[in-house]
Amino acid sequence: MLRMQNLNKVYRTHMIETHALRGFDIHVQQGEFVTVTGPSGSGKTSFLNIAGLLEEFTDGEYILDGVNVKGMHDNARSRLRNEKLGFIFQGFNLIPDLSLFDNVDVPLRYRGFNSAERRERIEDALAKVGLASRMKHYPAELSGGQQQRVAIARALAGSPKLLLADEPTGNLDTQMARGVMELLEDINAQGTTILMVTHDPELALRSQRNVHIIDGQVSDLVHKGPTLASSQAKAGSNTATV
Amino acid sequence: MFQYYFLLGLRSLRRNPALTALMVLTLAIGVAASISTLTILHVMSGNPLPHKNGRLFVPLVDNGSLSGYTPGNASGDKQLSYRDAVNFQNSKTGERRSVMFGVGGAIEPQRKDIGAFTSQGLAAYRDFFPMFETPFLHGQPWSEADDAAGADVIVLSRKLAEKLYGDSNPVGQRMTLMGFQYQITGVLDTWEPVPRIHRIIGSGAFGSEDSYFIPFTSAIRHQTSHNGSMNCSGNREPGYQGTLDSECTWMQFWFEMANDGQRGELQNYLDSYAQEQRKLGRLKRAAPNRLFSIDEWLVHLRVVGNDNKLSAWLAFGFLALCLVNTIGLLLAKFSVRAAEVGIRRALGASRSDIFRQFLVETTVIGLAGGILGLLLSFGALALIGMQSKQLTVAAHMDWVMLAMTFVISVAAAILAGLLPTWRACQVTPAIQLKSQ
Repeated sequence: MLRMQNLNKVYRTHMIETHALRGFDIHVQQGEFVTVTGPSGSGKTSFLNIAGLLEEFTDGEYILDGVNVKGMHDNARSRLRNEKLGFIFQGFNLIPDLSLFDNVDVPLRYRGFNSAERRERIEDALAKVGLASRMKHYPAELSGGQQQRVAIARALAGSPKLLLADEPTGNLDTQMARGVMELLEDINAQGTTILMVTHDPELALRSQRNVHIIDGQVSDLVHKGPTLASSQAKAGSNTATV
Repeated sequence: MFQYYFLLGLRSLRRNPALTALMVLTLAIGVAASISTLTILHVMSGNPLPHKNGRLFVPLVDNGSLSGYTPGNASGDKQLSYRDAVNFQNSKTGERRSVMFGVGGAIEPQRKDIGAFTSQGLAAYRDFFPMFETPFLHGQPWSEADDAAGADVIVLSRKLAEKLYGDSNPVGQRMTLMGFQYQITGVLDTWEPVPRIHRIIGSGAFGSEDSYFIPFTSAIRHQTSHNGSMNCSGNREPGYQGTLDSECTWMQFWFEMANDGQRGELQNYLDSYAQEQRKLGRLKRAAPNRLFSIDEWLVHLRVVGNDNKLSAWLAFGFLALCLVNTIGLLLAKFSVRAAEVGIRRALGASRSDIFRQFLVETTVIGLAGGILGLLLSFGALALIGMQSKQLTVAAHMDWVMLAMTFVISVAAAILAGLLPTWRACQVTPAIQLKSQ
């Protein structure tokens, strides 16, 4: 699903160079639920941004679902992002003056689906997160947990192959965090690959695999056995390489 | 996607309503200033017979004396002598032709409730009516035979006909003008060409309409004094005949050619005529013989003054200032949208998608500015129209200027939106998403 080899990311100013990622290698299989941990400034977010095609890398190789993204034009990267990826953020990142329906509609508009298909996908996605009855509401009218569910619905509506989550429970209380985590596990169980950055060791333990990053490199890899989805999809063929 | 972007643009108007209102108002004021002055210019410099621009010509020959003359220089005189005008009339050159001069005199109505009053008119040939496409409410122009005979026939303006005869058709009736009995052959419908190209000399490009039209030959036969300017550079014998025989210039002339592209033919005629008159010892100067199309005539007579042009430049300068303000306001408006841009980029929008969305949004602002600008323009034109009679005629917006209001407004908004839109596209989504 996702393979990075000897990938480097260097931020340059006229004074200094900062190596966010150096010789970074990772291979995530289809259907895996991988958590990414590491201290602040270790390169987790850079990794997630590059994985999500939101940032370009300096050198190395990145293959996303069989597509080499190096040197890709912005339009092609955007299309790939729209078709293959879904994002969930710590701060939910809903557009406040759009209704839930319209928020979930955003990625589908760029996908070019017709009106009927968009409506069907939006209703399905909101139903999956238990908010079908509130599609005309606005984000400010929801709790944090509900907003994150809408963000998940928005990420799922386009049927992405890879869901990228950046501390999705970071702004939620324990009960809401548990609910969101269970939802993500359900989604993974249905076959969607999930790559989640978290600071929470408990959440990291719940994933199939935990990648620990320090100083822009993978320092540790913990395998905890296949998730329901990956075991069904690959029958234990996890060959993640670090 | 345009519809989607347009709806987002409409929705965006509600976001930061104070900022939006300020932008729309700024744009509207700039547009209104530009459109109102441009409307005046447009009307003033407009050609009421654009389809005849290549066929209608004013001829000018220089019959001035040699005293103080520099060879090759064109004369500043804009009229013709009686002799040249009549020679042109008799030349049979072109499809139609008419000499004309302004007349004025007393009208004595048959109705007892209206006293005698003076009114201005025009002495011309029958060809005048089809040349300038005058609309007839009743009757028709007088005949060529009337021209030849110098018959006392008359065509009235609608306004004068209604004043004298009410709503009834007065064709065939006789009326007293300047002490002579004229038979009415026709009544013009309302005819208000702007500018009045046929009467710029005499009553002005935006002056009041002529109340009546009589045959040139009749006016000459009755020795009707002319109502307008006269330029005499040589000696003039006393009396009406003395004026006719003099080199005084006081008549205007228009040729109509059958087709576009016959200007050269007319110029050849004019040059031959001037050469012949030089041989006869009449025309002394070796000056160029000039022809003016309608557009050239408007420029030559400076119908649009330099002050009008300066006003338009100032108005556009003001619009430019408004644009700079709008750019600042749009930068402020779009900068708070960086988070939204980041989200949309993460969800699959390319930079070009964002560019289009924000450009459509500025177009919506431009349309709103156009609507408000149009209302302000109507108000500004009403105020301008109160300043003088000439401006009252010119301060009218037509469909072209109406469309131009929106074109200028939207173009201005898009122009103002380019920098803010470009900057919005440069938003780094990763930074925006993390900072939320």
